[in-house]
Amino acid sequence: MSEIPLPQTAKRVVPWWLLRHETMLAVILLLALIVLGGLNSRFLTLDNLLNQGRLTTEVGLIALPMTFIIITGGIDLSVGSIVGLCAILLGYSWKNFGFPLPLAICFSLLVGAAAGLLNGIVITRVKVPPLIMTIATLALYRGLAEGISQARSVRGYPEWFYFIGQENLFGVPAQLWLLLIAIVVSAIVLDRTTFGRTLYAIGNNETAARFSGLPVDRVKLIIYTLSGLMAGLSACVLVSRVTTTRSDMGIGYELDVIAAVVLGGTSIFGGVGTIWGTVVGLAMIQLLKNGLALTGVKGDATIVVIGAVLILSTLVASSLQRRRDGV
Amino acid sequence: MTTDAHSETPGTPLLSVRSIEKSFPGVRALSGVSFDAARGEVHALLGENGAGKSTLIKIVSGVFPPDRGEVLVDGKPVDLARPDDARRAGIATIYQELLLFPELTVAENIFMGHAPRAGLGRIDWRAMHEKTNALLASLEIHDLQADRVVGSLSVGNRQRVEILRALSQDARILIMDEPTAALTEYDVTRLFDIVRKLKARGVAVIYISHRLDEIFAIADRVTVLRDGAHVATKRVADTDAAELVQLMVGRRIESLFPKITVPIGKPVLEVKDLERRPLTRSVSLTVRAGEIVGLAGLVGSGRSELAQTIFGVTPADSGEIRIAGRKVDIRSPAQARSLGLAYVPEDRGTQGLVRPMSVRENFSLAALGKVAFGGFIDRGAERKLADDGVKRFAVKTSSLEQIAGKLSGGNQQKIVLGKWLANEPKLLILDEPTRGIDVGAKAEIHRLMGELAAQGLAILMISSELPEVLGMSDRVLVMREGRIVAEFSREEATQETIGAAMMGSHDNAEKAA
Repeated sequence: MSEIPLPQTAKRVVPWWLLRHETMLAVILLLALIVLGGLNSRFLTLDNLLNQGRLTTEVGLIALPMTFIIITGGIDLSVGSIVGLCAILLGYSWKNFGFPLPLAICFSLLVGAAAGLLNGIVITRVKVPPLIMTIATLALYRGLAEGISQARSVRGYPEWFYFIGQENLFGVPAQLWLLLIAIVVSAIVLDRTTFGRTLYAIGNNETAARFSGLPVDRVKLIIYTLSGLMAGLSACVLVSRVTTTRSDMGIGYELDVIAAVVLGGTSIFGGVGTIWGTVVGLAMIQLLKNGLALTGVKGDATIVVIGAVLILSTLVASSLQRRRDGV
Repeated sequence: MTTDAHSETPGTPLLSVRSIEKSFPGVRALSGVSFDAARGEVHALLGENGAGKSTLIKIVSGVFPPDRGEVLVDGKPVDLARPDDARRAGIATIYQELLLFPELTVAENIFMGHAPRAGLGRIDWRAMHEKTNALLASLEIHDLQADRVVGSLSVGNRQRVEILRALSQDARILIMDEPTAALTEYDVTRLFDIVRKLKARGVAVIYISHRLDEIFAIADRVTVLRDGAHVATKRVADTDAAELVQLMVGRRIESLFPKITVPIGKPVLEVKDLERRPLTRSVSLTVRAGEIVGLAGLVGSGRSELAQTIFGVTPADSGEIRIAGRKVDIRSPAQARSLGLAYVPEDRGTQGLVRPMSVRENFSLAALGKVAFGGFIDRGAERKLADDGVKRFAVKTSSLEQIAGKLSGGNQQKIVLGKWLANEPKLLILDEPTRGIDVGAKAEIHRLMGELAAQGLAILMISSELPEVLGMSDRVLVMREGRIVAEFSREEATQETIGAAMMGSHDNAEKAA
């Protein structure tokens, strides 16, 4: 079978069918844009699109490390709870410990990273499956957040803090710059570095990666820590945008994040995926939500549509893969 | 040939395959292959990987249809569109990867899908056990109970369960795809006993194996395939190993074991009292530059465990390892690699190769540091590394971007070997380097080993094939129950001395290494 010529696209780093998957997704996205734009004149305006970018940043920041994690065949369900914990600690340490706000921000980012590191340590040292470990910390971190906040919200932050969440920089929402930088860095890391290659190797065959002398455990620790750190960053952006801190912040984020990553063609079984796919997945979900809402579709129906799109894309992806494998 | 109740003319073969052709996109897998098997005949199929054996048996077992040609059972053409059709025609196939349910019992596995029924569609458990016991008795298997869970059985016993399952469906034609690949010597002997019993019952056995000695031990006739074409069918009594190898590869293999005598240098690896229970017990050994040390032993004697302990996969509990005279404490494969160690593991598919990744990515996997600068992979350097590897090891691949898992076993093994050599190691540990690969690729790997030793590489080779151990090694160590129990120089080593030490019938006063 070794003589079968592969299609030209196989010259790229990623398998050709994945490129196809992303292309296909981008085409669907484009069609959806045109249709929704035709139905509602407010949809396809620069203002609206930029605003959607603002709204998707919090999920987007977490979706990038989640792409890394899912490529290794892992998962992190605790990210939503880490957002809640970090948001609470940001407010609490500022108000109750009397930390200056910049220090409080650093503290909350640190806690986010530590929460992720804890996931990583238990997953690599004790060999608890990531699904189990992060379900446990999903409950644990949320419980901590609620315990610390005692159902009290924190508000009244200084004016400068709202810049990142509400202002524009060069005509683009400030937090969107943050997301854009994170996207570019993640994409380069995944595509061009030994770190990125190690992620794919772990997802495709962890034993062989280990036997080849790749630092499997260290890499896993790094990605789970990164995931916690980005959840912390997302919490800061979220608090700045909504001007208040509550313990129920970030509930359900893990599902939005995983949906975007998987919709973008990253295989839940590991080994396959790109940052570009995740970006398209993010855009797709956010714009569908917004477009449908603007056209007067009710909230429940929007969720149904998004669920249907997710199933559809998974079906197409698996049929493309089956064709590739020649089964 | 045995006679039985069937009433065809005596000359009709039980299974007859006529001018089978099969193409896949881009390759012609079979071009007009014919062979037949009579009742009570063991007919061996021989050929290098990629010769078309697997395609042929998949056609006969109904996995996919041929483009042209037909399969006849009892002289009548049968339509084998689906595996179920083959089963009905009395054809059963035992694949290399056994298809059993590990959580279920022996009886449940045997009767999966055709369990005896009582009223209302309930399973008649008593009848099922009785039938299982009858099957066991008919093959004189006394150490297997019907209610044992299959997952707890040895590979040999699982294979027996598969054979029993085939018999429970009244299979008259049994196809066995490399049945001895994972068996111990003892299990091989027992398998042959069973095959002889089946033969006596009039079952036709299609036997696929790379091991020539097995073909001479068990087969009546042998059909050789090469590049999808039928090369020859011979009576085993009328041929010899050299002729078969020549037919198979289409050329003469000059010497199967080209060990060149080279000057032995300084010790590269010195291991003293290495301990990692349960399977590494107080092991001491030395491998010198330019030396190939063979490590023999039965399956389960602790050879792979020793290799993985040295390589840091399962770090040692106590003991001393010296690399080039310097004491080291190896805690991980990454560390072992940076010390100049390389380990080509036993299981290519799960430990050696990242099958879904490309040839290029596999070649650079253990040597990423060599093609990356500041963590960034230099694509050009990586491609060059892989390209050099493909050329040096003559890997047959359509491109560097070919998915490595789709190559033949021999080519996969060359990639795993090449991936490690790209790192320029001082010590190479090879764990079953030629298991399951064809004669041509095997000879190439042996030639490479000889060359590498000549360049001063120290090689520790684990092998279950005694001819390989004898042919390639400068020294032979024998392991049993986690200990090194004997050491032989090249001159002292023979099948008998090594075999005896492996089995433990050897005098224990034998000098331990």
